[in-house]
Amino acid sequence: MGRGLAHLSDEALVALVARADEEALAELYDRFGRVAYGLALRIVRDPALAEDAVQEGFLAVWGSATRFVAERAKASTWILTLIHRRAVDLVRREQPRRAEPLDAVPHESGDDTEEEAWLRLRRGRVQEALKGLPDKQREALELAYYGGFTQSELADRLGEPLGTIKSRMFSGLASLREALAEEEFEEEQWEEPRSTS
Amino acid sequence: MGRAEIHELSAAYALDALEGNDLEAFEEHLARCAECRENVTTFQRVAAELAYDVDAPEPPAALRNRILDQAASERPKVVPLPRRRWAFPVAAAAAVAAGIAAVGLAFWAADLSQQLDDVQAEQHRANEALIALIDPSASHFALEGADGVLVVDAETAEGSLVISGLESAPSEKTYEAWVIEGDQAVPAGLFSGGGNQTVVPLTVPVPEGAIVAVTVEQAGGVDQPTQQPIITSEQAA
Repeated sequence: MGRGLAHLSDEALVALVARADEEALAELYDRFGRVAYGLALRIVRDPALAEDAVQEGFLAVWGSATRFVAERAKASTWILTLIHRRAVDLVRREQPRRAEPLDAVPHESGDDTEEEAWLRLRRGRVQEALKGLPDKQREALELAYYGGFTQSELADRLGEPLGTIKSRMFSGLASLREALAEEEFEEEQWEEPRSTS
Repeated sequence: MGRAEIHELSAAYALDALEGNDLEAFEEHLARCAECRENVTTFQRVAAELAYDVDAPEPPAALRNRILDQAASERPKVVPLPRRRWAFPVAAAAAVAAGIAAVGLAFWAADLSQQLDDVQAEQHRANEALIALIDPSASHFALEGADGVLVVDAETAEGSLVISGLESAPSEKTYEAWVIEGDQAVPAGLFSGGGNQTVVPLTVPVPEGAIVAVTVEQAGGVDQPTQQPIITSEQAA
Protein backbone atom coordinates (compact mmCIF):
# COMPACT_ATOMS: atom_id res chain seq x y z
CA MET A 1 0.00 0.00 0.00
CA GLY A 2 2.74 2.40 0.93
CA ARG A 3 0.52 5.39 1.50
CA GLY A 4 -1.15 4.04 4.58
CA LEU A 5 -4.81 4.53 3.73
CA ALA A 6 -5.86 2.25 6.55
CA HIS A 7 -6.57 5.08 8.99
CA LEU A 8 -8.93 6.90 6.61
CA SER A 9 -12.70 6.75 7.03
CA ASP A 10 -14.73 4.90 4.42
CA GLU A 11 -16.14 8.25 3.34
CA ALA A 12 -12.71 9.78 2.80
CA LEU A 13 -11.74 6.76 0.72
CA VAL A 14 -14.79 7.25 -1.49
CA ALA A 15 -13.77 10.88 -1.91
CA LEU A 16 -10.36 9.69 -3.10
CA VAL A 17 -11.99 7.14 -5.42
CA ALA A 18 -13.93 10.04 -6.91
CA ARG A 19 -10.52 11.43 -7.86
CA ALA A 20 -9.67 8.16 -9.62
CA ASP A 21 -7.38 6.95 -6.83
CA GLU A 22 -6.87 3.23 -7.47
CA GLU A 23 -5.25 2.55 -4.11
CA ALA A 24 -8.30 3.93 -2.38
CA LEU A 25 -10.49 1.55 -4.40
CA ALA A 26 -8.22 -1.33 -3.37
CA GLU A 27 -8.55 -0.31 0.28
CA LEU A 28 -12.36 -0.21 -0.03
CA TYR A 29 -12.26 -3.65 -1.60
CA ASP A 30 -10.13 -4.93 1.26
CA ARG A 31 -12.69 -3.58 3.73
CA PHE A 32 -15.88 -4.67 2.00
CA GLY A 33 -14.93 -7.29 -0.59
CA ARG A 34 -15.52 -10.17 1.75
CA VAL A 35 -18.97 -9.20 2.98
CA ALA A 36 -19.87 -8.13 -0.58
CA TYR A 37 -18.90 -11.55 -1.90
CA GLY A 38 -20.77 -13.31 0.90
CA LEU A 39 -23.89 -11.27 0.19
CA ALA A 40 -23.68 -11.80 -3.57
CA LEU A 41 -23.14 -15.53 -3.05
CA ARG A 42 -26.19 -15.81 -0.83
CA ILE A 43 -28.30 -14.07 -3.46
CA VAL A 44 -27.06 -15.65 -6.68
CA ARG A 45 -25.91 -18.96 -5.12
CA ASP A 46 -23.26 -19.49 -7.73
CA PRO A 47 -19.60 -18.56 -7.15
CA ALA A 48 -18.94 -17.34 -10.68
CA LEU A 49 -22.09 -15.19 -10.74
CA ALA A 50 -21.24 -13.86 -7.28
CA GLU A 51 -17.86 -12.76 -8.55
CA ASP A 52 -19.57 -10.98 -11.44
CA ALA A 53 -21.88 -9.16 -9.05
CA VAL A 54 -18.99 -8.06 -6.84
CA GLN A 55 -16.96 -6.94 -9.82
CA GLU A 56 -19.82 -4.95 -11.32
CA GLY A 57 -20.65 -3.49 -7.93
CA PHE A 58 -17.12 -2.25 -7.25
CA LEU A 59 -16.86 -0.88 -10.76
CA ALA A 60 -20.07 1.03 -10.07
CA VAL A 61 -18.38 2.39 -6.95
CA TRP A 62 -15.44 3.41 -9.12
CA GLY A 63 -17.65 4.97 -11.78
CA SER A 64 -20.09 6.83 -9.58
CA ALA A 65 -18.07 7.88 -6.53
CA THR A 66 -18.32 11.52 -7.65
CA ARG A 67 -22.01 11.29 -6.87
CA PHE A 68 -21.69 9.94 -3.36
CA VAL A 69 -22.71 12.46 -0.69
CA ALA A 70 -21.27 11.70 2.73
CA GLU A 71 -23.89 13.90 4.33
CA ARG A 72 -26.69 11.67 3.10
CA ALA A 73 -25.40 8.18 3.60
CA LYS A 74 -22.63 6.08 5.02
CA ALA A 75 -20.15 4.84 2.45
CA SER A 76 -20.61 1.26 3.63
CA THR A 77 -24.36 1.48 3.01
CA TRP A 78 -23.78 2.94 -0.41
CA ILE A 79 -21.30 0.25 -1.42
CA LEU A 80 -23.41 -2.65 -0.16
CA THR A 81 -26.48 -1.16 -1.85
CA LEU A 82 -24.62 -1.11 -5.17
CA ILE A 83 -23.48 -4.72 -4.67
CA HIS A 84 -26.98 -5.81 -3.72
CA ARG A 85 -28.48 -4.11 -6.75
CA ARG A 86 -26.06 -5.89 -9.07
CA ALA A 87 -26.60 -9.29 -7.45
CA VAL A 88 -30.37 -8.94 -7.64
CA ASP A 89 -30.19 -7.87 -11.28
CA LEU A 90 -28.06 -10.92 -12.08
CA VAL A 91 -30.25 -13.40 -10.26
CA ARG A 92 -33.36 -12.04 -11.96
CA ARG A 93 -31.71 -12.38 -15.33
CA GLU A 94 -30.08 -15.77 -14.81
CA GLN A 95 -32.52 -17.67 -12.64
CA PRO A 96 -36.11 -17.00 -13.53
CA ARG A 97 -37.30 -19.71 -11.19
CA ARG A 98 -36.02 -19.43 -7.67
CA ALA A 99 -38.20 -21.81 -5.74
CA GLU A 100 -35.52 -23.51 -3.66
CA PRO A 101 -34.98 -22.73 -0.02
CA LEU A 102 -32.73 -19.76 0.49
CA ASP A 103 -30.58 -21.05 3.29
CA ALA A 104 -26.99 -20.19 2.76
CA VAL A 105 -24.49 -23.01 2.51
CA PRO A 106 -22.31 -23.10 5.60
CA HIS A 107 -18.68 -22.59 4.81
CA GLU A 108 -15.69 -24.20 6.42
CA SER A 109 -13.49 -21.75 8.19
CA GLY A 110 -10.36 -22.94 9.91
CA ASP A 111 -8.79 -19.63 10.76
CA ASP A 112 -10.26 -17.23 13.24
CA THR A 113 -8.94 -13.85 12.34
CA GLU A 114 -9.97 -10.56 13.83
CA GLU A 115 -12.05 -9.95 10.70
CA GLU A 116 -13.88 -13.25 11.19
CA ALA A 117 -14.64 -12.40 14.78
CA TRP A 118 -15.95 -8.99 13.82
CA LEU A 119 -18.12 -10.41 11.05
CA ARG A 120 -19.48 -13.03 13.44
CA LEU A 121 -20.32 -10.42 16.05
CA ARG A 122 -22.05 -8.26 13.52
CA ARG A 123 -23.94 -11.20 12.09
CA GLY A 124 -25.11 -12.18 15.57
CA ARG A 125 -26.58 -8.74 16.12
CA VAL A 126 -28.50 -8.81 12.86
CA GLN A 127 -29.79 -12.32 13.52
CA GLU A 128 -30.90 -11.29 16.98
CA ALA A 129 -32.80 -8.33 15.53
CA LEU A 130 -34.38 -10.50 12.83
CA LYS A 131 -35.50 -13.01 15.43
CA GLY A 132 -37.55 -10.31 17.12
CA LEU A 133 -39.75 -9.83 14.04
CA PRO A 134 -43.06 -11.61 13.45
CA ASP A 135 -42.41 -14.61 11.19
CA LYS A 136 -44.30 -13.20 8.24
CA GLN A 137 -42.41 -9.91 8.28
CA ARG A 138 -39.09 -11.70 8.54
CA GLU A 139 -40.05 -13.99 5.69
CA ALA A 140 -40.96 -11.07 3.44
CA LEU A 141 -37.72 -9.23 4.20
CA GLU A 142 -35.55 -12.29 3.70
CA LEU A 143 -37.19 -13.33 0.46
CA ALA A 144 -36.89 -9.81 -0.91
CA TYR A 145 -33.36 -9.05 0.25
CA TYR A 146 -31.63 -12.42 -0.07
CA GLY A 147 -33.97 -14.01 -2.60
CA GLY A 148 -34.08 -11.05 -4.96
CA PHE A 149 -37.86 -11.34 -5.33
CA THR A 150 -39.78 -8.27 -6.36
CA GLN A 151 -42.83 -7.31 -4.35
CA SER A 152 -45.11 -8.67 -7.09
CA GLU A 153 -43.25 -11.98 -7.19
CA LEU A 154 -43.53 -12.16 -3.42
CA ALA A 155 -47.27 -11.59 -3.52
CA ASP A 156 -47.61 -14.42 -6.06
CA ARG A 157 -45.33 -16.75 -4.22
CA LEU A 158 -46.94 -16.21 -0.83
CA GLY A 159 -50.48 -16.00 -2.19
CA GLU A 160 -51.11 -12.66 -0.48
CA PRO A 161 -52.47 -9.36 -1.82
CA LEU A 162 -49.74 -6.97 -3.00
CA GLY A 163 -50.85 -4.38 -0.44
CA THR A 164 -50.24 -6.85 2.36
CA ILE A 165 -46.72 -7.52 1.11
CA LYS A 166 -45.95 -3.80 0.90
CA SER A 167 -47.13 -3.22 4.46
CA ARG A 168 -45.26 -6.23 5.71
CA MET A 169 -41.97 -5.08 4.24
CA PHE A 170 -42.50 -1.58 5.58
CA SER A 171 -43.39 -2.72 9.10
CA GLY A 172 -40.59 -5.25 9.06
CA LEU A 173 -37.90 -2.76 8.10
CA ALA A 174 -39.27 -0.18 10.51
CA SER A 175 -39.11 -2.68 13.39
CA LEU A 176 -35.65 -3.76 12.38
CA ARG A 177 -34.57 -0.14 12.25
CA GLU A 178 -35.79 0.29 15.78
CA ALA A 179 -34.16 -2.90 17.01
CA LEU A 180 -30.84 -2.00 15.44
CA ALA A 181 -31.02 1.57 16.71
CA GLU A 182 -30.78 0.20 20.21
CA GLU A 183 -27.45 -1.34 19.32
CA GLU A 184 -24.47 0.87 18.93
CA PHE A 185 -22.64 0.06 15.79
CA GLU A 186 -19.16 1.43 15.60
CA GLU A 187 -19.95 3.87 18.39
CA GLU A 188 -22.17 5.89 16.16
CA GLN A 189 -25.63 7.27 16.70
CA TRP A 190 -28.51 6.14 14.61
CA GLU A 191 -31.09 8.68 13.69
CA GLU A 192 -34.38 8.54 15.51
CA PRO A 193 -36.74 6.31 13.57
CA ARG A 194 -39.40 8.26 11.77
CA SER A 195 -42.94 7.17 11.36
CA THR A 196 -44.88 7.50 8.19
CA SER A 197 -48.22 9.15 8.67
CA MET B 1 -51.77 4.55 -5.82
CA GLY B 2 -52.79 6.14 -2.53
CA ARG B 3 -50.50 8.39 -0.59
CA ALA B 4 -49.94 6.01 2.30
CA GLU B 5 -49.28 3.20 -0.10
CA ILE B 6 -46.61 5.00 -2.06
CA HIS B 7 -44.84 5.93 1.19
CA GLU B 8 -44.73 2.27 2.09
CA LEU B 9 -42.76 1.61 -1.05
CA SER B 10 -39.69 3.18 0.54
CA ALA B 11 -39.17 -0.24 2.16
CA ALA B 12 -39.50 -2.22 -1.07
CA TYR B 13 -37.21 0.30 -2.73
CA ALA B 14 -34.52 -0.11 -0.09
CA LEU B 15 -34.74 -3.88 -0.56
CA ASP B 16 -34.45 -3.55 -4.36
CA ALA B 17 -37.86 -5.22 -4.62
CA LEU B 18 -39.35 -2.75 -7.11
CA GLU B 19 -39.22 -3.17 -10.84
CA GLY B 20 -40.51 -1.53 -13.97
CA ASN B 21 -43.36 0.93 -13.57
CA ASP B 22 -43.43 0.60 -9.79
CA LEU B 23 -39.78 1.57 -9.64
CA GLU B 24 -40.19 4.52 -11.98
CA ALA B 25 -43.25 5.80 -10.16
CA PHE B 26 -41.55 5.58 -6.82
CA GLU B 27 -38.36 7.26 -8.01
CA GLU B 28 -40.46 10.14 -9.33
CA HIS B 29 -42.20 10.36 -5.99
CA LEU B 30 -38.89 10.18 -4.15
CA ALA B 31 -37.55 13.21 -5.94
CA ARG B 32 -40.40 15.22 -4.41
CA CYS B 33 -40.89 13.63 -1.00
CA ALA B 34 -38.38 14.44 1.74
CA GLU B 35 -40.01 12.03 4.17
CA CYS B 36 -39.56 9.12 1.79
CA ARG B 37 -35.95 10.11 1.13
CA GLU B 38 -35.37 10.03 4.87
CA ASN B 39 -37.03 6.63 5.13
CA VAL B 40 -35.07 5.28 2.18
CA THR B 41 -31.85 6.54 3.80
CA THR B 42 -32.47 4.74 7.05
CA PHE B 43 -34.01 1.67 5.41
CA GLN B 44 -31.02 1.27 3.12
CA ARG B 45 -28.85 1.45 6.17
CA VAL B 46 -30.87 -1.32 7.81
CA ALA B 47 -30.79 -3.36 4.60
CA ALA B 48 -27.01 -3.00 4.50
CA GLU B 49 -26.89 -4.55 7.96
CA LEU B 50 -28.74 -7.57 6.53
CA ALA B 51 -25.73 -7.99 4.27
CA TYR B 52 -23.81 -9.15 7.33
CA ASP B 53 -26.12 -12.09 7.97
CA VAL B 54 -24.32 -14.23 5.42
CA ASP B 55 -21.48 -16.67 5.40
CA ALA B 56 -18.57 -14.64 4.22
CA PRO B 57 -15.93 -16.90 2.73
CA GLU B 58 -12.83 -15.19 1.38
CA PRO B 59 -13.48 -14.24 -2.23
CA PRO B 60 -10.98 -15.65 -4.73
CA ALA B 61 -7.79 -13.58 -4.77
CA ALA B 62 -8.03 -13.17 -8.54
CA LEU B 63 -11.25 -11.20 -8.16
CA ARG B 64 -9.45 -8.31 -6.46
CA ASN B 65 -6.95 -8.05 -9.30
CA ARG B 66 -9.66 -8.26 -11.94
CA ILE B 67 -11.57 -5.42 -10.36
CA LEU B 68 -8.50 -3.22 -9.98
CA ASP B 69 -7.30 -3.94 -13.52
CA GLN B 70 -10.65 -3.13 -15.00
CA ALA B 71 -10.96 0.02 -12.92
CA ALA B 72 -7.56 1.13 -14.19
CA SER B 73 -8.67 0.57 -17.78
CA GLU B 74 -11.82 2.60 -17.20
CA ARG B 75 -10.07 5.65 -15.86
CA PRO B 76 -11.59 8.08 -18.37
CA LYS B 77 -15.01 7.52 -16.85
CA VAL B 78 -13.81 9.11 -13.68
CA VAL B 79 -13.45 12.84 -13.68
CA PRO B 80 -10.45 14.13 -11.78
CA LEU B 81 -11.52 17.00 -9.59
CA PRO B 82 -9.75 20.31 -9.99
CA ARG B 83 -7.98 21.94 -7.06
CA ARG B 84 -10.10 25.06 -7.36
CA ARG B 85 -13.07 24.44 -5.18
CA TRP B 86 -15.80 26.27 -6.99
CA ALA B 87 -15.26 25.18 -10.54
CA PHE B 88 -17.03 22.15 -11.92
CA PRO B 89 -16.13 21.37 -15.48
CA VAL B 90 -18.84 21.02 -18.08
CA ALA B 91 -17.55 17.61 -19.11
CA ALA B 92 -17.90 16.41 -15.55
CA ALA B 93 -21.46 17.67 -15.33
CA ALA B 94 -22.34 15.78 -18.50
CA ALA B 95 -20.69 12.62 -17.23
CA VAL B 96 -22.55 12.85 -13.97
CA ALA B 97 -25.86 13.44 -15.72
CA ALA B 98 -25.29 10.44 -17.97
CA GLY B 99 -24.30 8.32 -15.00
CA ILE B 100 -27.42 9.22 -13.10
CA ALA B 101 -29.62 8.19 -15.99
CA ALA B 102 -27.76 4.91 -16.25
CA VAL B 103 -27.67 3.87 -12.64
CA GLY B 104 -31.16 4.83 -11.58
CA LEU B 105 -30.38 5.13 -7.87
CA ALA B 106 -32.81 7.96 -7.51
CA PHE B 107 -31.91 8.56 -3.93
CA TRP B 108 -28.40 9.70 -4.68
CA ALA B 109 -29.62 11.38 -7.77
CA ALA B 110 -32.40 13.02 -5.81
CA ASP B 111 -33.90 16.25 -7.08
CA LEU B 112 -33.02 15.21 -10.57
CA SER B 113 -34.04 18.03 -12.79
CA GLN B 114 -33.58 21.59 -11.69
CA GLN B 115 -31.49 20.85 -8.67
CA LEU B 116 -28.96 18.73 -10.51
CA ASP B 117 -26.43 21.53 -10.54
CA ASP B 118 -26.85 22.15 -6.83
CA VAL B 119 -26.44 18.49 -6.07
CA GLN B 120 -23.28 18.27 -8.13
CA ALA B 121 -21.83 21.34 -6.55
CA GLU B 122 -22.68 20.05 -3.09
CA GLN B 123 -21.12 16.67 -3.77
CA HIS B 124 -18.11 18.25 -5.28
CA ARG B 125 -17.55 20.60 -2.37
CA ALA B 126 -18.16 17.87 0.18
CA ASN B 127 -15.60 15.67 -1.53
CA GLU B 128 -13.11 18.47 -1.68
CA ALA B 129 -13.53 19.18 2.01
CA LEU B 130 -13.07 15.51 2.90
CA ILE B 131 -9.94 15.46 0.82
CA ALA B 132 -8.74 18.65 2.50
CA LEU B 133 -9.00 16.74 5.78
CA ILE B 134 -6.27 14.41 4.64
CA ASP B 135 -4.28 17.00 2.70
CA PRO B 136 -1.00 17.64 4.49
CA SER B 137 -0.91 21.26 3.26
CA ALA B 138 -4.23 22.07 4.97
CA SER B 139 -4.31 23.35 8.53
CA HIS B 140 -6.80 21.99 11.05
CA PHE B 141 -8.31 23.96 13.91
CA ALA B 142 -10.39 22.55 16.72
CA LEU B 143 -14.03 23.47 17.25
CA GLU B 144 -15.72 24.19 20.50
CA GLY B 145 -19.43 23.32 20.78
CA ALA B 146 -19.40 20.51 18.25
CA ASP B 147 -17.44 17.47 17.22
CA GLY B 148 -15.52 18.59 14.19
CA VAL B 149 -12.75 20.62 12.70
CA LEU B 150 -12.10 23.76 10.68
CA VAL B 151 -9.90 23.00 7.68
CA VAL B 152 -8.08 25.86 5.98
CA ASP B 153 -6.05 25.58 2.81
CA ALA B 154 -2.67 27.14 3.56
CA GLU B 155 -2.33 28.63 0.07
CA THR B 156 -5.77 29.93 -0.75
CA ALA B 157 -7.18 30.47 2.77
CA GLU B 158 -10.32 28.66 1.60
CA GLY B 159 -11.92 27.05 4.62
CA SER B 160 -14.45 24.34 5.39
CA LEU B 161 -16.17 23.20 8.53
CA VAL B 162 -16.47 19.43 8.89
CA ILE B 163 -18.84 18.61 11.73
CA SER B 164 -20.03 15.19 12.89
CA GLY B 165 -23.48 14.47 14.26
CA LEU B 166 -24.85 18.00 14.04
CA GLU B 167 -28.61 17.97 14.55
CA SER B 168 -30.79 19.44 11.83
CA ALA B 169 -31.51 23.13 12.34
CA PRO B 170 -34.97 23.72 13.87
CA SER B 171 -37.74 24.46 11.38
CA GLU B 172 -37.79 28.05 10.15
CA LYS B 173 -34.14 28.33 11.27
CA THR B 174 -30.80 27.88 9.61
CA TYR B 175 -27.23 27.52 10.74
CA GLU B 176 -25.10 30.41 9.59
CA ALA B 177 -21.31 30.39 9.52
CA TRP B 178 -19.27 33.53 10.19
CA VAL B 179 -15.66 34.47 9.65
CA ILE B 180 -14.82 36.83 12.47
CA GLU B 181 -11.80 39.11 12.48
CA GLY B 182 -11.57 41.43 15.45
CA ASP B 183 -15.10 42.82 15.81
CA GLN B 184 -16.03 42.26 12.16
CA ALA B 185 -18.27 39.27 11.36
CA VAL B 186 -18.67 38.33 7.70
CA PRO B 187 -21.42 35.86 6.64
CA ALA B 188 -19.75 32.68 5.34
CA GLY B 189 -22.63 30.43 4.35
CA LEU B 190 -25.92 28.85 5.44
CA PHE B 191 -26.45 25.16 6.14
CA SER B 192 -29.05 22.90 7.67
CA GLY B 193 -27.08 20.15 9.45
CA GLY B 194 -28.49 16.65 10.02
CA GLY B 195 -26.93 13.44 8.81
CA ASN B 196 -23.69 11.81 9.87
CA GLN B 197 -21.42 14.48 8.69
CA THR B 198 -21.97 18.09 7.76
CA VAL B 199 -19.47 19.63 5.39
CA VAL B 200 -19.67 23.40 5.04
CA PRO B 201 -17.41 25.01 2.49
CA LEU B 202 -17.11 28.62 3.64
CA THR B 203 -18.03 31.25 1.09
CA VAL B 204 -15.30 33.68 2.18
CA PRO B 205 -11.62 33.05 2.91
CA VAL B 206 -10.37 32.52 6.45
CA PRO B 207 -7.45 34.91 7.00
CA GLU B 208 -4.77 34.40 9.62
CA GLY B 209 -5.94 35.31 13.09
CA ALA B 210 -9.65 34.94 12.23
CA ILE B 211 -12.04 32.58 13.93
CA VAL B 212 -15.04 30.83 12.43
CA ALA B 213 -18.29 30.70 14.36
CA VAL B 214 -21.76 29.27 13.79
CA THR B 215 -25.05 30.75 14.99
CA VAL B 216 -28.67 29.69 14.59
CA GLU B 217 -30.57 32.33 12.63
CA GLN B 218 -33.91 32.86 10.91
CA ALA B 219 -34.27 30.82 7.71
CA GLY B 220 -32.71 32.72 4.85
CA GLY B 221 -29.88 34.00 7.01
CA VAL B 222 -28.96 37.44 8.32
CA ASP B 223 -26.22 39.98 7.61
CA GLN B 224 -24.93 40.15 11.16
CA PRO B 225 -25.19 37.53 13.90
CA THR B 226 -28.16 38.01 16.22
CA GLN B 227 -27.43 35.03 18.49
CA GLN B 228 -24.58 33.74 20.58
CA PRO B 229 -22.46 31.28 18.60
CA ILE B 230 -23.13 27.61 19.29
CA ILE B 231 -19.84 26.61 17.67
CA THR B 232 -16.55 28.49 17.58
CA SER B 233 -13.19 27.53 16.13
CA GLU B 234 -9.78 28.25 17.53
CA GLN B 235 -7.98 31.15 15.95
CA ALA B 236 -6.64 30.28 12.50
CA ALA B 237 -2.88 30.68 12.51
